[in-house]
Amino acid sequence: MTDLKQNTASLKSQARLKKRYRKERLFKAIGLSGLLSGLLALTIMMISILSTGLSGFSETRIKFDIYMDPEIIGSTDGYDETEYRDHIAQINHSTLIRNSLKIKFSDVKGRRDVFNLQKLVSSGSREEVRRLLIEDKNLIGKTIAMDLLASSNVDMYVKGQISRDVNQSERKISDRQLAWLDILESEGRILKGFNWKFFSTGDSREPELAGILGAAMGSFLTLLVTLLIAFPIGVASALYLEEFAPHNKWTDLIEININNLAAVPSIIFGLLGLAIFLNVFNMPRSAPLVGGLTLALMTLPTIIISSRAAIRAVPPSIRDAAIGMGASNLQAQFHHVLPLSMPGIMTGTIIGMAQALGETAPLLMIGMVAFIVDVPQGVLDAATALPVQIFLWADSPERGFMEKTSAAIIVLLVFLIMMNGLAIWVRHKFEKRW
Amino acid sequence: MDKTTVQELIQPTIKARNVDVYYGETHALMGIDLDIAPKTVTALIGPSGCGKSTFLRCINRMNDTIPSCRMTGKITLDGEDIYSKNIDVVQLRAKVGMVFQKANPFPKSIYDNVAYGPRIHGLAADDKDLDEIVFSSLQRSGLWNEVKDRLDKSGTALSGGQQQRLCIARTIAVNPEVILMDEPCSALDPIATAIIEELIADLKERFTIVIVTHSMQQAARLSQKTAFFHLGKILEFGDTSEIFTNPRVEKTKDYITGRYG
Repeated sequence: MTDLKQNTASLKSQARLKKRYRKERLFKAIGLSGLLSGLLALTIMMISILSTGLSGFSETRIKFDIYMDPEIIGSTDGYDETEYRDHIAQINHSTLIRNSLKIKFSDVKGRRDVFNLQKLVSSGSREEVRRLLIEDKNLIGKTIAMDLLASSNVDMYVKGQISRDVNQSERKISDRQLAWLDILESEGRILKGFNWKFFSTGDSREPELAGILGAAMGSFLTLLVTLLIAFPIGVASALYLEEFAPHNKWTDLIEININNLAAVPSIIFGLLGLAIFLNVFNMPRSAPLVGGLTLALMTLPTIIISSRAAIRAVPPSIRDAAIGMGASNLQAQFHHVLPLSMPGIMTGTIIGMAQALGETAPLLMIGMVAFIVDVPQGVLDAATALPVQIFLWADSPERGFMEKTSAAIIVLLVFLIMMNGLAIWVRHKFEKRW
Repeated sequence: MDKTTVQELIQPTIKARNVDVYYGETHALMGIDLDIAPKTVTALIGPSGCGKSTFLRCINRMNDTIPSCRMTGKITLDGEDIYSKNIDVVQLRAKVGMVFQKANPFPKSIYDNVAYGPRIHGLAADDKDLDEIVFSSLQRSGLWNEVKDRLDKSGTALSGGQQQRLCIARTIAVNPEVILMDEPCSALDPIATAIIEELIADLKERFTIVIVTHSMQQAARLSQKTAFFHLGKILEFGDTSEIFTNPRVEKTKDYITGRYG
């Protein structure tokens, strides 16, 4: 009797055990499939960005022999350094290039054809000729082999993004231009190289001339302001709320509001920045200073929340020890609690800064969305930021900007990965055990 | 004249009169009167939650850090009311040091742990002076020979018993008058406990020690005076030998013989 009872009990418990294991396996499978689909989406995104973006880091150049025609350049006798430079800046570089191109393709006649021929090279090549002449005045009268920057359309064709199979009216390069390119190609005059300009110049209307240094500089200055404002204020607020403020209804209310602010859409902060910094304080429009202040408002809740969590994680025994030694509350905080919570605070700050780096909406509201060619030198110069630059390029009709958009996204992602990596490193490096 | 009467003639270092402590609505201590004689070890014993740690924390005003805690009555140290407005709590805590239940060295070097108190109270004239204080404190806490080669290593890397002795060294580095110990051996093994007990017996020569303990044997071995706390009151206070051999109160007897607690 008892045996039988025990047997059925064990049978039942075995069945129950099986069911439990099955549930566990099912849960694991669901979790794993969720993870894998996330990874798949990430991979697809990365592949799509890399495949369009990587070509943005290279450029096409065409080798031409440029005749530095003294007749066009004119007489520079007796000019000193600055006079010479001013003179060279004013001459018609375009004609120099056009004439040299006409020498190469001597059969080209007629305004329209010559115009199309010159369209092969970028308008930026005028600048290249000018720079060469300024560097060395002895080049006047000589014929120099120059690798001129190709126009964006040629660049696109060379990169295979314009097909010669489609009808002439539907592509940006005419049959005539294609014929010239074929000749140049066969002579080995079409070269590909790394696009250094992309990292050393500001924005441009011409895709082949556009760079991200201006936007990167703008982002850097903006984040610098954000960090300088948000970090001390955020940490001090967290410390005050956690360790000094009385715990009553008011501090509860403040805490709830800080948590809510962290979830407020960022464009609201943009409106706030517009209303306060621009309209009330009359700060300069489009300036990294205002952008930084606005992003600081947005980042503050993140920093305060993570700092409070880090401060709370410091064991009370450390405070007791310091206070028991006769340290004042402030000394206990600054000598012991803050250093111990610093890894957590810094991690939160870096995550908050990474969030600010990727933010576009608030910057649109305060005018950091303008077309700005110059690289900003200070926090009061007009500037734009990396994500805004991406937004602007994505909005441009020129085909060449497509790869620039993706290339800028790659740069932004690299910055974000670097910042997150820094956060992880900081956490591991400075984490102390007690 | 026997030993007891001599001790009674000496002015007590700490005098508590009619001390009541509340945590919010909870009445934790009721009408505590206690005299603590200088250069003796006074043990506070009693079942958990009886208020002995609360009383201990009143003596250096550590309870000030608990917002809901309220205290009435009077505690004097060398005749001065420690809760009066003229008393600076920072200076009080330099005079009344504390060693906690769980060893809590700062996650800094051994040297910095001991040097922290002298630094914040400005006790050392120069670096040499500070070295001397650190050396003598570690010497007196019996830790010097074990750590002299690794003063720059973290205090948290030491063993539990060593950490507790480091905390004692840190406390005596500011040369206090009184050392409060809140179950200093409860987290230690018997050997480490024995070392600390020996140390406490030594320290008694220079400091007034008040120790909260759950170990009857420890109280019997170490202390000259024992106070038995029960439900927020002192049921019995007297010479340790008297309390352990001939308790006047039934509850004390039950507790020290292990019938409850």
